[in-house]
Amino acid sequence: MAVLALDRSTAAARRAYLKQVVGDGGRARLSTSLLLLDSVAAIGFAAGLAGAVSALVAGLPLWHWVALTGLSGVARGLCVWGAARIGARGASAAKGRLRERIVAAALNRAPGAARTSGELLQAAVDEVEAIDGHVARFLPARQAAALAPMIVLAAIAAASPVAAAILFATLVPFIFALVLAGGAAADQSRRQFAALARLSGLFADRLRALPVVLAFDAPAREAERLGTAATDVADRTMRVLRVAFLSSGALEFFSALSVALVAVYCGFNLLGLLPFPVPETLDLASAFFVLALAPEFYAPLRRLAAAYHDKQAAETAADRLSAVEREAAPSVCVKVAEGAPALSFAGVCVRYDGADRAAVAEVTFDVAPGEIVALWGPSGSGKTSLLRLLLGLAPIAAGKVRVNGELLPLGGSVAARASWLGQNTLLLPETIAHNIGLADPGASRASVEAAARQAGLAAMLAARPDGLDTRLDARGSGLSGGERRRIGLARAILKPAPLLLLDEPTAHFDAAAEREMIDTIAQAAKGRTVLMATHSEALAAIAGRIISLERLA
Amino acid sequence: MTNLAVLIARETARERRTLVRAAILASLVTAASVALLGLSGWFITAAALAGAAGAAAAMAFNYMLPSATIRLLAIVRTGARYGEALASHAAALGAVARVRPAIFRGVAALPIRQALAVTSGDVTARVVNDLTAIEHDLVRRSAGPAALSAMLSGGALAGIGGLLPAVIIAATAAGVLMLARLIVRPLAAHASAAQAHNGALKQRMSLLLESAPELRCFGLEQSAAAEIRREADALNAAQLACADVHARITLLHVAAIGGSAAAVFALTAPAGAPIAAMAVLAAAMTIDGLAPLIRRIAGRAEVACAHARLGDLLGEADTAAPMRFAAPTVAFEPDAAIAHGGRMAITGASGSGKTTLIESLLSLRSVKPRTAWLDGVDIAYVAPKTLRAAFAWLPQDAALISGTVRDNLLMADPAASDDALWAVLADAAMDARVLAMPDGLDTWVGENGERLSGGERRRIALARAYLRPAPWLLLDEPTESLDAETEAQVVRRLEERLRRTGQGLLLASHRSLPQGLCSQRRSVELA
Repeated sequence: MAVLALDRSTAAARRAYLKQVVGDGGRARLSTSLLLLDSVAAIGFAAGLAGAVSALVAGLPLWHWVALTGLSGVARGLCVWGAARIGARGASAAKGRLRERIVAAALNRAPGAARTSGELLQAAVDEVEAIDGHVARFLPARQAAALAPMIVLAAIAAASPVAAAILFATLVPFIFALVLAGGAAADQSRRQFAALARLSGLFADRLRALPVVLAFDAPAREAERLGTAATDVADRTMRVLRVAFLSSGALEFFSALSVALVAVYCGFNLLGLLPFPVPETLDLASAFFVLALAPEFYAPLRRLAAAYHDKQAAETAADRLSAVEREAAPSVCVKVAEGAPALSFAGVCVRYDGADRAAVAEVTFDVAPGEIVALWGPSGSGKTSLLRLLLGLAPIAAGKVRVNGELLPLGGSVAARASWLGQNTLLLPETIAHNIGLADPGASRASVEAAARQAGLAAMLAARPDGLDTRLDARGSGLSGGERRRIGLARAILKPAPLLLLDEPTAHFDAAAEREMIDTIAQAAKGRTVLMATHSEALAAIAGRIISLERLA
Repeated sequence: MTNLAVLIARETARERRTLVRAAILASLVTAASVALLGLSGWFITAAALAGAAGAAAAMAFNYMLPSATIRLLAIVRTGARYGEALASHAAALGAVARVRPAIFRGVAALPIRQALAVTSGDVTARVVNDLTAIEHDLVRRSAGPAALSAMLSGGALAGIGGLLPAVIIAATAAGVLMLARLIVRPLAAHASAAQAHNGALKQRMSLLLESAPELRCFGLEQSAAAEIRREADALNAAQLACADVHARITLLHVAAIGGSAAAVFALTAPAGAPIAAMAVLAAAMTIDGLAPLIRRIAGRAEVACAHARLGDLLGEADTAAPMRFAAPTVAFEPDAAIAHGGRMAITGASGSGKTTLIESLLSLRSVKPRTAWLDGVDIAYVAPKTLRAAFAWLPQDAALISGTVRDNLLMADPAASDDALWAVLADAAMDARVLAMPDGLDTWVGENGERLSGGERRRIALARAYLRPAPWLLLDEPTESLDAETEAQVVRRLEERLRRTGQGLLLASHRSLPQGLCSQRRSVELA
């Protein structure tokens, strides 16, 4: 019982989340209106046919009835066309907004969240995609399914209340069957979804493990195993489908049955051979109208059934996306006084969620204002984690970090007063000046130029006709690795920040380039507190102190 | 025909009986649909005429046969549609269940660089999607026969009213299909643009996520989000273009139903009201019956892309049996071979290339000549299978496959007995842990061993290496993420095991305890 209640509450949470993310500015409603209009056009189509047939019998002119038939047909086409286009635009807008939320969550993820950036990419790009069909098709179809059959039924009732009653009567057992079988069918269909996902998962798993499979010379055996599993899942899926198709079978059955019953009733009524009294006598026009319109009664429900898997895909995605959003935790910027800050690390441990060992364990050291301190140790010893810690990008599991004596809270960040230079420099597809100026939007052109000069970019800029106004692409094509990093350095210099965080700023440089870079860094370090992670002895040599970190096991 | 086309053709041929059944049932569905509406139209109109002619005419009207047929058709249509859905899914699932392992074999046989490119999550996801697209196309195989049957039955019913209406139905149907082909033509370009934008978006976003510290220091989260939005907008635009093509096809199809009905009615009017009524509804249902085929046509661009991409993944398997050395030497310098049974530690700072060297020995990356020698032969010229038969490997990431403990161990030796499995688990100091697990050897380890701790994962991967009957053990960080006590136990049992089996040992480790097993050292320097 508890499990059931839990299921219900997660289902409700999921629905609420979906509703909230797909609030699409009324496009679904517009799309629904067009689907309803399609049902109205279907009434015109049936009226055209009925009028034409009875006019033919009566020897009256036909052409306007034929024209009504053709035009109604075209109008139906235009309605579904419009509904599809508007639905697609609504989905596009909803995806855009949802993606922005997921991107914002990804950019502000809590320090230490276990999710890899691969998973975040998957969420922001592919899983957001799963709500497309939900907004574009399922929502309009669901709203239309509630109203359109009633519109059709009203039109039929106007021509023949008994035929309308017959149709309505088939709807009652249909809904009864759906309620009875619906839970089972939905459950089966979820299981089908899960079985197919499992199969894809198994295949993806063996591809992922390919190096091991190859090294153990096991491709043939694993392929065979994959085959057995796939055949097994295929068999199981078929058992599931046998039940799942029953619900669409029921829909189909009542749809066909309603047409047959209406046809037979109308025929007998016209012949005057009904074995029971009815309060109406039909003429050919109304009988034919009813017959031609009868299939439209179930059409909206069939459209809804066809969009059902869109709903399931969206629900699966909603669970994962809401989890990503829940993990977001905007960092808190702590206030740091003017002037180079003092830092103190006391017994600091960093441990990421789901990791089986700490990334940093029991690290203690102090940095005096204006001091340059190098963090030294093999990869995996937690140098970068210590730097990221100060920006609220790594979780403090134990110990205390103080900035100017003030405690840094969990997720707290000194970003407002810090500059960063890493191995890779972030470049936006803008000019070099813009890329440097990102550090300080209020900076004058002269100060950007000064920062560029100080970072050693003068020769590179002089060699380019547009100098600082040279446009870059996002990859920084046409720049060497050193030039890219110097742009990053210029950015770090431009920002009037008294704390400089350097993450292996000279990695992959040759000796000469490294020498130049180190000189520039030494210049930039004046008046700043510098904490840097490095493997380079030459760079570490400019540090006042070297803190050795051990690789942890 | 491409290899993939041959493969799919072969696997679908094995499902021929099911496919034929699906095709027959699908044809029955559309024929019954056309007949149900056509006959109903005729029945009502004829009944109205008879009813109007007086009670005698009404009594003389044979209503039993048509009304019974109408009910029969309704039941046939329902049953046939259910049977068709089952049959076509059974055929598609069955065929793709056999295509999947074939694709896996093909990927495994690719040159190593291409093969390993497929193991990245993104590419794997695309392969899975491509297979799904092919499966969906197989499900829709009966769409062609269904459309043909609709055209034939519609033509036959309208043909009662004259040849011309039958021709009109056939011509409208053919016209709709041809126009649909024309309309979907831009779809391939839009779909591949969407695919390209999808890749670009992921790349841009991954770059920005990696720059988290810079974003934070310089307050660039907003501009990063704007950057991503620009890429995402391009992706959305391409997808919208695809959706618009699909909308146009729907417009064509639905409008054609009304158009053909109007035209056929106008043409069959001279044959009298009952016949015209039958023909007009038959015409509408005929065009309606083209729906599955039109969906298949619209999906073709995607299926063709899936075919092209999967086709590139089929390498030619090397069927030659590997050469097996009983006791080969290993050398990292041409004249300094280590005799079989020797023990060497591969040392060097992180990032200096220890793992690269190990993966080269297994031919898991393209090997530069003069990297290493196996029994005096440069490994760049040794067949991958021969190299892999010489080394039993513990990968640095201790990768496991999703399955049971037993599944993982049996990779190393499919014929191993349970006793042999327990013996290697004991050597890896893992036997007690597995014994304590709820299902013992049959405990499910989860995807990449996610249900195990890092240390458990590593010891199972170590046991797997022990089980492999190869002359050399190649262990990359065997005691990483183990506590001191377990590490000591693992090293002690490894020592005993080496003495017992006489296997050679190549070991990369940061830790001093396992390094103590080795008598020689090979230092790797940054390339």
